[in-house]
Amino acid sequence: MAGAQVEEKAKPSRSILWVARPMLTAARQFGRSLLRPSTIVYPFERLEDPQFRDRVGVGSGMPIGVGHIWDNYRGVHALNIATCISCNLCAFSCPDLCIDMVTVPGGDPKHAKKSPQIDYGKCSYCGFCSDACPEGCLTMTTRYELSVTKRAEMIFSPQKLQEVFDRKLPMNPVRVERPANEDAILLEPPLCIGCNACARDCPTNCITMLDIPKVEAKPGEKVAKRIWKEPVINDSDCVRCGTCISVCPKECLFWGTRT
Amino acid sequence: MSASLLSVSTALSSILLHGVGSILPAPLQGWLTNGNAIDALGILIFGVILLAASMLNTILLIWWERKLLGRFMDRRGAMHVGYAGLLQNFADGFKLFRKDTVRPRDADSMGFFVGPTAYLVTSLVIFAILPISTGWNSGNLPLSLLLAITIFSFAPLFIFISAWSSNNKYSLIGGMRSAAQMIAYEVPILLAIVAVVIVSGTFSLDTIVTEQQNYWYWGPLFLAMVVFVAGMLAEMERIPFDLPEAEAELVEGWNTEYGGMMFAYFMLTDYVRVLLGCFLIVLLFLGGWTMPSWVPSAWTSFPLAGIFWFMLKAYAVFTVFVWIRASLPRVRTDQLLRVGWNRMIPLSLVSIVLAAGLVLAKCVPVFGCLPNLGG
Repeated sequence: MAGAQVEEKAKPSRSILWVARPMLTAARQFGRSLLRPSTIVYPFERLEDPQFRDRVGVGSGMPIGVGHIWDNYRGVHALNIATCISCNLCAFSCPDLCIDMVTVPGGDPKHAKKSPQIDYGKCSYCGFCSDACPEGCLTMTTRYELSVTKRAEMIFSPQKLQEVFDRKLPMNPVRVERPANEDAILLEPPLCIGCNACARDCPTNCITMLDIPKVEAKPGEKVAKRIWKEPVINDSDCVRCGTCISVCPKECLFWGTRT
Repeated sequence: MSASLLSVSTALSSILLHGVGSILPAPLQGWLTNGNAIDALGILIFGVILLAASMLNTILLIWWERKLLGRFMDRRGAMHVGYAGLLQNFADGFKLFRKDTVRPRDADSMGFFVGPTAYLVTSLVIFAILPISTGWNSGNLPLSLLLAITIFSFAPLFIFISAWSSNNKYSLIGGMRSAAQMIAYEVPILLAIVAVVIVSGTFSLDTIVTEQQNYWYWGPLFLAMVVFVAGMLAEMERIPFDLPEAEAELVEGWNTEYGGMMFAYFMLTDYVRVLLGCFLIVLLFLGGWTMPSWVPSAWTSFPLAGIFWFMLKAYAVFTVFVWIRASLPRVRTDQLLRVGWNRMIPLSLVSIVLAAGLVLAKCVPVFGCLPNLGG
């Protein structure tokens, strides 16, 4: 019998309480916020200001970025051009395609050094780029004020990102651990012509061209014209940027699991 | 404080006209310094002073409400313009003042512009009647309470005129709701006033205040005060009785079609009427400018002490209004009208009976005896 089990309506309390109870609640709230409301007078008070946090007792005594809400804050990037190895991983990982690698002064004259330039009109502050950065030179800071008057000013050149770095803002310390069974770059030796392109373009200089024993030609047999050198990759230095694979003219380098 | 504001401004105009007349040739001087001219200029000065004072107070009232509401909602309210946002309302007013006054094509021009103006003017006129200190304003009028309430009750008419002439169905519905609400609550207000009049035996606000020298009426006439305050909340269209405007649901109710300075008129008038309501409550139930006898006489005898205490009480009453606004939800139309006709009127009738009993008994145990002034 579904009809029999109709819930009894809650008896309305006395109508004087309808007035008195909310008024008491409001008075309590008023007393609580009389000294200091929860709001922050933003341009004049900032949560990242340690003195202000000491005064209002929000995470006082702690630098931002340690055990605090700011721990993984993702604001404007900071770039340390000096440690950037131009590996292009940030631009690869960017889901919004907002990172361009542009030439920066420094680096050897034959190979121009390239560093990321970020278009904040497109950036979604996902932080993939700083996760991907193998050298930790591209990080997210706690800077969140980015109002400009022209769209062109939204594009931050590497030098501008370096300025953000020079301000020594608190940075996002969270780093993504690299997986233990990461794919490595493998070589298919018969295809290699020993051209040195991979070793030349490797951003970390982890590729060394090593001599290999020369194949003795039997009489009357043609042997491929080779310089008899092969790339050997130092796995611990390799950042898995894939530059060598993309520059290899014979497509003899590939991703795979090292056995 | 025997001088009233009217006599002060008449004296001021006499000084002014005699000063100006002394440098003019004889026929002009005689024409300027005769009694009628002095009286006319005196009334003009009186009006200007009253207008400026009431407008300033109204704007200060809005600031006070914004700050208080902010604290009730765990925020700060206006902060940036002037010290603690004191000048924010002036900035808002200037913004509205600079705007174009747009009239809908099919609106009735006469009613559309006369409605808000008359609404504002009839509300401001009452300031000339309410005494805020002994003999202040225009002196002791014998029927000042009746006159003030009469002018106060013009408002639904002008609201309805402006709503109807907007030629917008939403405005019209809002205006009808507003008029229905105001008329429903005017009856209990008047009956509550009758209770005060029975006890004090006079319609003169000055005398009503002097009658409260032994005890303020809020104690013995508590029921009448509750009815009066609730009715005033409905008259002023404030939460919980702000159905005609209902800023969370409707598009500004009956002033949908108004923008710029005309809208500012309405908003200003709403607060002018709130201030008037606070004044009336202080005058009728909270002893006006007088203080109880246990207050040290040094606190009540400095210059303009009457005005100071009066304004303090008025702002305290307004603080309670803001407290109510921050706490209570809005009622429905049917609840509003049912409370108005079914609860408020019987309660006010009961309060009249209580007032008659008070007059018969003469003395109340806790509060003391009635003085023998008006009765």
